[in-house]
Amino acid sequence: MSLSAARPLISIYNDKNEPLGTTVALPAVFKAPIRPDIVNFVHDNMAKNHRQPYSVNKDAGHQTSAESWGTGRAVARIPRVRGGGTHRSGQGAFGNMCRGGRMFAPTKPWRRWHRRININQKRYALVSAIAASGVPALVMSKGHLIQDIPELPLVVDDKVQEYSKTKQAVVFLRRIKAWADIQKVYKSRRFRAGKGKMRNRRRIQRRGPLVIYGQDQGLTKAFRNIPGVDLINVSKLNLLKLAPGGHVGRFVIWTQSAFSKLDELFGSWRKTSKLKKGYNLPMPKMANTDLTRLLKAEEIRSVLRAPIKQKRSVKKLNPLTNTRAMLRLNPYAAVLKRKAILTSLQSRRKRQELLAKKRGITLEPTAAEARARKLQEQRRAAIQKAKAEKAKKPKVEKEEKPTPGKEGKKAKTPAKGDKTPVKGAKAPGKGGKAPAKGGKAAAKEAKVLGKEAKAPAKEAKAPAKEAKAPAKEAKAPAKEAKAPAKEGKAPAEETKKVAEGSPKK
Amino acid sequence: MMSSHLTWMIIRNNNAYLLKKRNIKKPFSTEPNNLNNLSSYRYSGLIHKKSVGVVAAPDNKGFTVVYKKSRSSYKPAKSVVKRTMKAGPRRSLYKLKRLLRANKYRTDLTKAALRRASAVLKSQKPLPIKKARAKKSD
Repeated sequence: MSLSAARPLISIYNDKNEPLGTTVALPAVFKAPIRPDIVNFVHDNMAKNHRQPYSVNKDAGHQTSAESWGTGRAVARIPRVRGGGTHRSGQGAFGNMCRGGRMFAPTKPWRRWHRRININQKRYALVSAIAASGVPALVMSKGHLIQDIPELPLVVDDKVQEYSKTKQAVVFLRRIKAWADIQKVYKSRRFRAGKGKMRNRRRIQRRGPLVIYGQDQGLTKAFRNIPGVDLINVSKLNLLKLAPGGHVGRFVIWTQSAFSKLDELFGSWRKTSKLKKGYNLPMPKMANTDLTRLLKAEEIRSVLRAPIKQKRSVKKLNPLTNTRAMLRLNPYAAVLKRKAILTSLQSRRKRQELLAKKRGITLEPTAAEARARKLQEQRRAAIQKAKAEKAKKPKVEKEEKPTPGKEGKKAKTPAKGDKTPVKGAKAPGKGGKAPAKGGKAAAKEAKVLGKEAKAPAKEAKAPAKEAKAPAKEAKAPAKEAKAPAKEGKAPAEETKKVAEGSPKK
Repeated sequence: MMSSHLTWMIIRNNNAYLLKKRNIKKPFSTEPNNLNNLSSYRYSGLIHKKSVGVVAAPDNKGFTVVYKKSRSSYKPAKSVVKRTMKAGPRRSLYKLKRLLRANKYRTDLTKAALRRASAVLKSQKPLPIKKARAKKSD
């Protein structure tokens, strides 16, 4: 990824959050390896460098001429204060356990407060921190609210460097949608926990965006009063500001001149840096870090041997308690079980009925019965409705010719034949299909039957039928209605409809 | 340039959205685009180029799917797309599934996304009235 990585173009935004149109190529720094371990180490050590020494007074606890009383006096052998006439006389002195004695290992000002860090390590850390500031995932994970900023890394026109009023700065931050981060700073203002409160470190707040500029033409004064905002010059980049807390991913706003200077400062792998003698960006351990792609890459796969698949032990499931395991071993068990359940239900029902009979109570129908009954009624109602509608259109239908009449005849005869399949199938889905099938199949039968039936029944009805044939739906079934059971109509209607419908389909 | 694996290794134990609780081995995550709020590589909403989030819709009817456009991963303002599903549960769940499956968008997250969407929808139904007290919520 390092040497041959493509360097995308970053657009520069003006202070009104519009892309200027100019673009800069991403400096190579942003592709440097990100090493949070190095950053952490360097940050730890760097942070020690601005410490001020503390120690206790060198005389503390020794400003007495105490001497031990020795043995034989029924007291502990600790040195005791001489003289008399005051509480202090005879009290223990000098020891860390004594009241008024010096502490154990009194802190000295010549403690090694500062740490030196190798220059290359410092630079590595810096470079990692800069690279991390260009990755949205890392900046967001650090907690900065950058959901609405236009691009990352965020590069802004140099006009910002000329701001002199904080008001301008605020408006600018608002416009590029960095204000949310600053509001977060406002909300995070709180008192420090602990003794720091009384040691002049009373209040704490979050860190906001970092503005890195090329030349300060008033910018610092404009931004410095906004809480959370830090300002740095590009030539003096500070790890403590770029990776506060030792964690990478601070939200950085670059000005154009600062951004362009990065290449000179750090170089790219092909060129050494101009401003740092002989320095070149660190080499990554892994050029391509995308594991998923690596694992699927042909170059790697072709060289690997075939995977050895270990047969994993499957947990044994007890078929007596686990139905699926049972079915795997004996598929017929499903049938047996179902039978068992149904028979038990039936026998239970029978018992209930017997009892009810004895007691003279009428039982509620079982759920299945109730459902079936309901269905039947619904269908009846639907059929009645359909019939009623068709009864209103007799004239339109009359225009139609004998062919529909034949269909009508066909439909009537299968009406009887259809009863059984339809009756048997009371489930809704089946109800629709059975008559359809019955209709088609029976249509053929109908022709045969129809001819036979024609002779006796139709002589009387024939003229009437043919007249009504077009009006079949309305009247003919109305006649039929009286003769066979009502259910006969239902399939008749349905078969007609379906028979007409199906050829269309 | 930063692969999701790398960023995950950097972030996994150390980020602003990490939530650890006592006696719970796997830490939670409070980031916005995480489908089951677990801090894990697969479900993280920040590290991948493509991610899915499901939130209740603003007027509390239906849910909003938020997904990332894989091209503009460096332009946070433009990378997020929101689609609100207001139709009833059967339809919106189907739409969600379609959205993810048809575009092969993080298909490993479809189940989790559907679950989250159903949970959102369920929370929007009025609670069943209990015997003595009538409890109704949004």
